[in-house]
Amino acid sequence: MAIIRTENLNYIYGVGTAFEKSAVTNINLEIEQGEFVGIIGHTGSGKSTLIQHFNGLLRPTSGKVYIDGQDIWEKPKEIRKFRFKVGLVFQYPEYQLFEETVYKDIAFGPTNMGLTKDEVDERVLEAAGLVGLKDKHMRKSPFELSGGQKRRVAIAGVMAMRPDVLILDEPTAGLDPRGRDMILGEIQRYHIQNKNTVLLVSHSMEDIARYAHKVLVMNRSEVFLYDNVEAVFAHAREIADMGLAVPQITRICIALRDMGYNISPETYTVESAKEQILALLGGR
Amino acid sequence: MENIFECQSITFSYNIADQDKVLPVPILEDLSLAVRPGEFVAVLGHNGSGKSTLAKHLNAILLPQGGVVYVNGIDTREEERLLEIRSHVGMVFQNPDNQIVATVVEEDVAFALENLGVPPAEIRRRVDDALRSVGMYEHRLRAPHQLSGGQKQRVAIAGIIAMRPDCIVLDEPTAMLDPRGRQEVIGTVQELNREFGITVVLITHFMDEAARCGRVVVMDNGKIILDASPREVFSQVELLKSVGLDVPQATELVHRLRQAGIELPGDIIEVEQCVTAIGRLLKGS
Amino acid sequence: MLKDITIGQYFPGNSPVHRLDPRMKLVLTTVYIVMLFIASTPLSLVVGILFLAVVYPVSRVPVGMMIRSIKPIIPIILLTGILNMFFIDGDILWQWWFLKITDRGLTMAVLMSVRIICLIAGTSLLTYTTSPIALTDGLEQLFGPLKRFRVPVHEVAMMMTIALRFIPTLIEETDKIMSAQKARGADLESGGIMQRVRALIPILIPLFVSAFRRAEELALAMECRCYHGGENRTRMHVLRMGAIDAVSLIFTGACLAGVILVNIYGAGWL
Repeated sequence: MAIIRTENLNYIYGVGTAFEKSAVTNINLEIEQGEFVGIIGHTGSGKSTLIQHFNGLLRPTSGKVYIDGQDIWEKPKEIRKFRFKVGLVFQYPEYQLFEETVYKDIAFGPTNMGLTKDEVDERVLEAAGLVGLKDKHMRKSPFELSGGQKRRVAIAGVMAMRPDVLILDEPTAGLDPRGRDMILGEIQRYHIQNKNTVLLVSHSMEDIARYAHKVLVMNRSEVFLYDNVEAVFAHAREIADMGLAVPQITRICIALRDMGYNISPETYTVESAKEQILALLGGR
Repeated sequence: MENIFECQSITFSYNIADQDKVLPVPILEDLSLAVRPGEFVAVLGHNGSGKSTLAKHLNAILLPQGGVVYVNGIDTREEERLLEIRSHVGMVFQNPDNQIVATVVEEDVAFALENLGVPPAEIRRRVDDALRSVGMYEHRLRAPHQLSGGQKQRVAIAGIIAMRPDCIVLDEPTAMLDPRGRQEVIGTVQELNREFGITVVLITHFMDEAARCGRVVVMDNGKIILDASPREVFSQVELLKSVGLDVPQATELVHRLRQAGIELPGDIIEVEQCVTAIGRLLKGS
Repeated sequence: MLKDITIGQYFPGNSPVHRLDPRMKLVLTTVYIVMLFIASTPLSLVVGILFLAVVYPVSRVPVGMMIRSIKPIIPIILLTGILNMFFIDGDILWQWWFLKITDRGLTMAVLMSVRIICLIAGTSLLTYTTSPIALTDGLEQLFGPLKRFRVPVHEVAMMMTIALRFIPTLIEETDKIMSAQKARGADLESGGIMQRVRALIPILIPLFVSAFRRAEELALAMECRCYHGGENRTRMHVLRMGAIDAVSLIFTGACLAGVILVNIYGAGWL
């Protein structure tokens, strides 16, 4: 069953003023439970606006949002409970930490859910473990930690709510290659372990190619494509035209294909490119 | 001609308070580096390698605890010449917002010149020139919060250029930008180096940015472990990976093919080079 | 959207009033305020009203804006009027029980009310026609001579500029922090006063921490651009008085003289 479904979703800024602008237009989407979806799109394509509809932070100008089959705006006063079902981690989440200790900050979400002290404790420790935080970190003030560690605390704070869907907006922004690999590795492990749904917004098609099964491509407030990774790379040229950076390896394979060699222009991993080239050479 | 920068065996540590003790954590160890006028140098390293600390020694934000740093022949410890050093070496930081002081773009670009007591008419001229060379002249009357990240960084660069410095040091200037912003900033800086001969030191962890420089210095654990052209540096794939860095996918592909016994040049870092080399290979088969 | 909020009530335009040197505007506004308070008869106040009647149209600021500036102080005007009307001694015009309205009381009520209205309308015109940054520049230059007496004029002006520069940025950041905390279930809408105040903590603490961090980074960036305080600093935009400044000075001076004259010779009328 689709865990997230939207029906003719529209969000328009400044309705009725001179600044009226459509941020997302006519979105009809169905995301299945258990998927790992990468979301890409140029700046201003509507991706950030769209994900804020999934946890009810934004209310559609028109259209509907269904989480697990329920229309989330049917009872507007109860919208908060959907924020626990769909956890959203914003960009640079380390800037939202505020508690005295790491433990308390991670506990903020579960506490707001109204859980018992024991339940909160269980979730906090579980989430901390998921992101690689140790016991010695838990009693420290979050402001004493390094940038990368702070980010982990923030992500753990959302994971601790045990959401059915976890959405992360550019979780690797500002990190170096090592930091990036660590965080994405942790998210992947989290996804495999919990079998829940993960949405990852990213500018890096390389990252998405490595970790996601499906890709949602946003372009100018509309959905351009929502399909498997392979299918999306079949449109590599169009994606490049949208101003998105196609992975180097894909560009190399497209160029070799244009030169007449039998290499798939939808290749998106180095390993696959290598195999194809070796195969062509082996046929000598 | 004199070196713009000369770091001679510099050491530096931060004091970290850990419970009751104060421990010195060494950041730079016996590091020496010389940069010649007109160079476009990338300093590459993972977070914690000491690259930002090194950058801060280049305009006397930090002073070395051991060794000396000379900027245009001036010892950075000479307090009376601090302004002179800083007017010759400009610095651009990571956060685009936290460098802009004024409420209007052109006023911000004028800031450094106003501090230096430059006459008003001359300020006006230099501000206009600086804005034009970074492509922000049409936005000169806008407010900073209306600009994109890439535009803000270009305004910051303009503010430095207006001082007509010999060198610009950029400390991870694109870390907080989207791909388009990154492109704008690196393109601008590259052009400033090419057209005006301004020395550029770019601190970064992005391989594709380092690939565009003339010289790449790789740091790890407070030491320089590689200092050569991009081609020479990127051919050392295993070494780079061992210090937490990445290589461009083009380089990675060639590396893996070479490991499988295929003969290919070991210094490929860009898509075109890669395509040409592999194309040649496949043609021969 | 939030990004378009401008501070103060600046109403952009290119009228002669907009183009006046901000220092002149500050001085003239002060003269105008003095004018209003030394006007001791209703007739001399009329000069004050006439002043507004001339300057507002020249500034091309819509009358609606002037009315908007007065609206919030209507309660004060009413209160002042009532206090003056009922509690000043003089020839009694009307009496009911202990409440009496005297002739002097009535005069004073009208005088004070009109005075307040003119005061607010006049000073609003200043902020309508002068951008916050121009005001800051004007203040810095006007108070410049005070530097000799160790008054930190430049530093205060610099603080004002930086504050103005960061207000939109901080508003944006507050928005982001609020969204992030709401995403973790923070409830900013319900509950009594105490609960709502407590709910602000997850917003205020990150905001303060962030503000301090910004201040630190900005200070470093400023030092790297050779900032060393206000000494020997030049400005790209030099404030220069022009013909319109001279004209407005003469006009205002004439009004002031008019008020004084009417005070002395028009005392018999009304």
